[in-house]
Amino acid sequence: MSELFSRLRLPEILFFGLIALCWEMASEWFGIRPYLLPSLSSVLAALWNNAGELYRHSIVTLNEVVVGYLWAVAGGLALGLAIHTVPLARRTVYPLIVLFQGLPKVALAPLMVIWFGYGLTSKVLMAFLFAFFPVVIGMLGGLESVPSHLREHFDAIGASRWTRFWRLQMPAALPSIVDACKTAMPLAVIGAIVGEFVGAEGGLGYVILSANASARSDLLFAALVVISILSTLLYLVVELLGRKVWWRGV
Amino acid sequence: MTSQADPADAQASAGAISIRGLSKTFGALKVLDDINCTIGEAEFVSTLGPSGCGKSTILRIIAGLVEPDAGAELRLLGEPFGGQSDQVGVVFQTHNMLPWLTVEKNIRLNCEVRGVARAEITRRVEEILPVLKLEGFREKYPHQISGGMKQRAALGQTLIAQPKVLLLDEPFGALDALTRDQLNVELLRLWQKIRKTVVLITHSISEAIFLSDRVLVMSDRPSRVVSDVRIDLPRPRDPKATREDPRFGQYVTQLSALMGVH
Repeated sequence: MSELFSRLRLPEILFFGLIALCWEMASEWFGIRPYLLPSLSSVLAALWNNAGELYRHSIVTLNEVVVGYLWAVAGGLALGLAIHTVPLARRTVYPLIVLFQGLPKVALAPLMVIWFGYGLTSKVLMAFLFAFFPVVIGMLGGLESVPSHLREHFDAIGASRWTRFWRLQMPAALPSIVDACKTAMPLAVIGAIVGEFVGAEGGLGYVILSANASARSDLLFAALVVISILSTLLYLVVELLGRKVWWRGV
Repeated sequence: MTSQADPADAQASAGAISIRGLSKTFGALKVLDDINCTIGEAEFVSTLGPSGCGKSTILRIIAGLVEPDAGAELRLLGEPFGGQSDQVGVVFQTHNMLPWLTVEKNIRLNCEVRGVARAEITRRVEEILPVLKLEGFREKYPHQISGGMKQRAALGQTLIAQPKVLLLDEPFGALDALTRDQLNVELLRLWQKIRKTVVLITHSISEAIFLSDRVLVMSDRPSRVVSDVRIDLPRPRDPKATREDPRFGQYVTQLSALMGVH
């Protein structure tokens, strides 16, 4: 307990305390109407009163995010490797992905719902689409970052392509891959929520829409809080896994 | 005792490395022009020459990392060769340690890649670590050890595969003068123990004399071997006695003149 306390320093407490206070007192101090910005205490109350419902919808969103994200990481790594190793893929698939990346993916959400319906698949695909591109770029950049003297060393010891990939290229690329995975994590959350906005039977995005429709701005803010907590926790998981890759810049 | 009297010299005529008519052009740039030389078995040969004269290119060709121009006749231990060979080991100026592996695992890597049995690798590691004075550092990562230790480890990375021919491309070139001198003494001691064929590229005249049986002096691009100087200093060489030998000074003068350093 004392350790926890000593880690919470005064500036941090003051900073976040001030934000919380401004939020709580927004309507009294700045005259902001509560239906535009409900007070912190009413949001916390909404969180408490709707905990069960929010939890259920969180699980829906979490499922969409995690599945979409894992596909994005797996697919992004595979495609990055393909673009790096196969010259034909660099001339064909790579430009296609870059072109595709230029599309506002938000605009694809209705299409996903038309193609795949209101269920899980369309949201997983949205999470995938948002998270996929950074992973491809991270993998490509990582593979290209292998120092030339180490490549020559592997030539000199007669390493096979397989050995070279697993013992040189992958470990060398990992710091960049980890960064890409960190970037992609919150994007997957955004993708899933956007998918839910367009058409869903559950999930935190659905909660936001229905709270909005019934003018429950306290519940809407509660859903936002849950989304940001969910997103932060998922990011922390990736961050912690990424710490195993300690050799960046040494 | 001179190096000619060395029994290893009987085999030297066969030649560990024999190079005939070696040229190399990169695009429009002719780097090597008709290089001819023979390096005897267990001979220590240094190559001196101006920067950018293609010394490293020769080494990379011998190591099979660079293709020579057509028409060259290259033999390694009597066999014509192309591509990299298990018989050759290279140490470059930049160490080749993988930052995510410990010193010991880095040294093992070469043999693991070549498919040497695990127990045999362990045996060789136990043999080589004390020689390289790295026993206490086997669990360290490359960024945790000094530059001199990294280069010793780099030597270990190559020696572990037990090559017959050792190619050293300024292995201590990036180190400070003091460490470099120390490592040269250690390299000499090591070489006297293992007696492999060594081709060393260096910029240092005194380093070349101190270590070598022969020094090849190369010209500027397109380079040729302009001089082949036999270093007739007794072995085993003691650092102090060798440097105080009057012939050492004479070789320095001779090689400096050949290199155009006055």
